[in-house]
Amino acid sequence: MLLVGWEAVFFWILTLVVLFAAVFTVSARNPVHCALFLISTLIGMAGLFLLLRAEFVAGAQILVYVGGILVLFLFVLMLVNTRSEVENPFNRQNKLGAVIAVLVGLALLGATTYTQQRGSFFKTRPSADRMAIENARPDSNAPAGVISADTETLGVTLYTRAVLPFEIASVLLLMAIVGSVLLARDRRQEEIYD
Amino acid sequence: MMSSWPWGLAAWVAPQWVASLVEWLYKYLPAWVTNNLTATDATTFLVWPLIQIAVMLVVVLTTVAYLTLAERKVSAWIQVRIGPNRTGPLGLLQPVADGIKLLIKEDVIPFKADKAVFTLAPIISMVCAFIVLAVLPYGPHYASITDINIGLLLILSISSVGVLGIILGGWASNSKYPLLGALRSSAQMVSYEAAIGLTVVSALIFTRTFSMQGIVEAQRSLGVWFILFLFPSFIIFLVSVVAETNRAPFDLAEAESELVGGFHTEYSGFRFSIFFIAEYTNMVVVSAVGTTLYLGGWYVPGMDAIAAQFPEAYREVVLTLIGVIAFAIKCGIILYLFIWMRWTFPRYRYDQLMELGWKWLMPAALANIVLTATAFVIGKELGWVRSVSGTLEMDWQGKVFFTVTGFLSTFPILALLNAINRNSRSFNLRAQRTTIPVSTRKARLSPSVKPAST
Repeated sequence: MLLVGWEAVFFWILTLVVLFAAVFTVSARNPVHCALFLISTLIGMAGLFLLLRAEFVAGAQILVYVGGILVLFLFVLMLVNTRSEVENPFNRQNKLGAVIAVLVGLALLGATTYTQQRGSFFKTRPSADRMAIENARPDSNAPAGVISADTETLGVTLYTRAVLPFEIASVLLLMAIVGSVLLARDRRQEEIYD
Repeated sequence: MMSSWPWGLAAWVAPQWVASLVEWLYKYLPAWVTNNLTATDATTFLVWPLIQIAVMLVVVLTTVAYLTLAERKVSAWIQVRIGPNRTGPLGLLQPVADGIKLLIKEDVIPFKADKAVFTLAPIISMVCAFIVLAVLPYGPHYASITDINIGLLLILSISSVGVLGIILGGWASNSKYPLLGALRSSAQMVSYEAAIGLTVVSALIFTRTFSMQGIVEAQRSLGVWFILFLFPSFIIFLVSVVAETNRAPFDLAEAESELVGGFHTEYSGFRFSIFFIAEYTNMVVVSAVGTTLYLGGWYVPGMDAIAAQFPEAYREVVLTLIGVIAFAIKCGIILYLFIWMRWTFPRYRYDQLMELGWKWLMPAALANIVLTATAFVIGKELGWVRSVSGTLEMDWQGKVFFTVTGFLSTFPILALLNAINRNSRSFNLRAQRTTIPVSTRKARLSPSVKPAST
């Protein structure tokens, strides 16, 4: 797919922002700076989602990931004393890390080009539900940014064709919440309060 | 199921005089500009939005500045005194005086504070408060800067990002009280965001779109304001939104007598004024959202009848004018409610605040979704509301039905809240009397009062 005009300009700007912020996320000295760069990465990703006409995902990315998860990251980072990490960084494994990173990068590159040319790794026949979900993709000929029925299509498909995975995911999240409350319990404090 | 969109696309087409002005200007521009950017593109995407943004910024910044004055005056009248009346007639130059004072103050950065993050935090707060103003529907036709498909979702997302400014501001100050204040403030804001999100969902059942102009058009096509159908939802929204913006009675984290100043203790001068502007702009934004969702936005019943009195050419302008004035008045009503509530209710303690958010408002919002959806499905089965090519159609029986179910749904919600909170300590006032051990109690309790068992 060749991008032309303003879409290409926005794509390249956003891509550069995302990549540089991602590099700084892992290489900044102060953990709070790392979190801030991660926020920039995620907001850039949301912009890329908008270019792909997936508007709801873009909004949900900012709402959930940046506004929820990263806020909690920052809570934890601020309550934990990270001075020792900032003042004594441990990087004696640079060479081995570079080798592994290059290998992983080549593997990712290989996998992406292979699947792009061949379509998929294995040959499978998708079910009717899967075909309906695939066909609910936004119209790629429409220009990005116009008012479309993306949220409506997503909602309808999610609640008619993909109900079971949706409900399983929500039960899983509930289990995670209950589990974390259980793990963080302090019996003495609860007894004092009661 | 892909619905056609009969409204909205004309909202961001520039008026004709702007287009002809840009075309006239294009004769004088060099070739490398005119070859790469057509005149209509430049008008629609560059010139007209810039004009709209400039107008909107001037209006909103003036509103925010005079909101501070209005707060001082209104609080003074509530407390039977006169507010500022020395600077200018009726104190109207007071915001100017405050602005100049904050600008000429010394800029202090605390010792060993992280300078980059210290500078960045108020900027994040202010930027997030102002981005949202782009998608608000100030009026019909061209009185809103843009109307995107996910307008309401964007507003909720960007309010969540605004919490980051507070956390970073408190942390970057390298000081105890701001850090505690920031963590408390942001925990409170995150808790009430859950309640706001859920409350808005029950309004979305009727509007069926996230786009802000679409929400107003939904109320216009039904001829009704959603506060009639969704009264408990409006109450939950109002309370959550007061807590979200850290306003009294939920302002423990930044009140003057607690935690010194909360997260903005170490900020002085212009940086403090940026936080201040961000807080008041947040107030304006949430009252605009409340107006759009519940009070009909720019729609006033009878608007079209009034506009039909005028000749054809002026109808659009008249509609826009009526719409913008109606929107401003409704926002003003909700802002007055904010100020009124600040000086009427005593402050909530922090644990009472968190309990209100999680144990009272969130279950109420969830129950409201269930009840509203049930009422909607019943209405659909009985034929009182129909979905015709994507828009809702409702006759007067449907409207009466939904109004009645809206008001009746308060009872199951209250029953649910009672069931959840019946055994909690702060709900039960008598149980709180036994915090003092019996032996040190000087006064005897009256015989009818039985102390609860510890």
